[in-house]
Amino acid sequence: MIVEINNLFLKSDRGAQIFKNLNFKLSSGRSAVIQGPAGSGKSSLVELFIGLRRPESGSIELFGESIGRLGEMRINRFRRKIGGVGGLFELIPSYTVAENIAFPLILAGEQSKTRKELLLKMLTEFSLIKQAGTYPRRLTRVERTLVQFARASIANQPLIIIDEPAAGLDSSTAGRIHEFLVKQSFSGRSMIILTSEKTTAISPNSDYYQLKAGELV
Amino acid sequence: MTKLVFILNELFRSLYRNPGTAIASILSLALLFLLFDLFWIAAGTSDKFYGNLLSNLQMHVYVEESASDKDAKALEAKIEEIMGVADAQYISRETARKELAAIVGVDLLVGYDDVNPLPRSYVITFESTHLQSAAVDSVESDLKRISGVGKIDYSRQWLEKAESTRNIIKNAGMILGALILFTTLVSSANNIRLMTRTRATGFWQMRLLGAGRAFIALPFLLEGFLIGSLSAVLSWLVILYSQSKVSFTQFELVLPTLSQVCLFCLAAGVLGVLSGLLGIRKMMR
Repeated sequence: MIVEINNLFLKSDRGAQIFKNLNFKLSSGRSAVIQGPAGSGKSSLVELFIGLRRPESGSIELFGESIGRLGEMRINRFRRKIGGVGGLFELIPSYTVAENIAFPLILAGEQSKTRKELLLKMLTEFSLIKQAGTYPRRLTRVERTLVQFARASIANQPLIIIDEPAAGLDSSTAGRIHEFLVKQSFSGRSMIILTSEKTTAISPNSDYYQLKAGELV
Repeated sequence: MTKLVFILNELFRSLYRNPGTAIASILSLALLFLLFDLFWIAAGTSDKFYGNLLSNLQMHVYVEESASDKDAKALEAKIEEIMGVADAQYISRETARKELAAIVGVDLLVGYDDVNPLPRSYVITFESTHLQSAAVDSVESDLKRISGVGKIDYSRQWLEKAESTRNIIKNAGMILGALILFTTLVSSANNIRLMTRTRATGFWQMRLLGAGRAFIALPFLLEGFLIGSLSAVLSWLVILYSQSKVSFTQFELVLPTLSQVCLFCLAAGVLGVLSGLLGIRKMMR
């Protein structure tokens, strides 16, 4: 199991109930689309997945291991297995596009030659060759999203979390992103896609959830 | 290996992107270290200077008039037995007369050959470990207990002043040293804090992607080490260059040994690492 959440309760810093008795399962190679309006707790869910928040009660397991009470070093090891796009997962402003994309490979300890090969592949795949040496502040919103997708794909991590994949994208880029998502869903990697837009499952091996009143239905 | 290369790359990226801050940081720290070095040299030089002066300290022990010449000479062994006494030289009435004549230039005691009024005495010198007022006091007390010893004379006031001056230099050096180290720490930490503040968002993103605190902080700690040690090296280069251009005739400058200077530069580097830790602490929360 890639992700397993059981009977999870979470309150906001101000004491408001965000999740009550939340249950969620994502097995290896499957994808989940979680739809919910703004303020329904999608970002809190991402924070739970990457260990930024700890639940009040209930359990959350990532890659078969409970992360509820893990120390920072162990959490970091889990975070390296997750590729992130949108929401919290912004680009590192002091790094160029190429450096941003290659960063997960540095954390994974990949050799320089492999890094260069994979980087070139990603830059080509996402049409970012021209922007390779550019810093994020000079990129358009679309380009920034593409760089995030490239960064989330380069290290072939087992799980990709995508927060609002089509937000602010033109129809042609949104189409490319949808293509990417479908391709990834068939590549054996698991994905969690959080969106506020009414949408459907992206492929036959994906599930569709709605986040309503602190529960996934 | 990949991570190490990345960390080194980050270190030079930071220096390359902020050369002005790095140079200003090195120069300001070098100036502080220069002050520290100068006081270090001053303390060493004055210590040697006073050490030389104190090594000439002598105590004059006069023999009582009632003691016979034989008894007076017998005192030598007893005096030399006292702990801290390096040598006791007997000055007979005749020797004292000759010394007086040598000082004045003329024998004032012509016609007093049989009734030389000058006292017999011993000139005592001390072992280097006993060139302190407390130790000399103890020797004086031991001497007073010996039968046949009369008046004891030595430059007590001068000895106390010399000791007090040495202590003032030592204490001022320690206070100044502590102040300089504190200023260095704060100044360097502020420089690193300024450099890191603009990159706070980047640190957060790196952590979300799974980078550990040490991985993010290490380039800044290395930068602190590099800036600290380079500043210390620069300050000593200035000292060595100045020393080759200036000469003193009254006293000899006492410079620390090469190994002491190397240790100092290393310590300055460690201080830089501490500054780095202080500078980056808030960003790592």
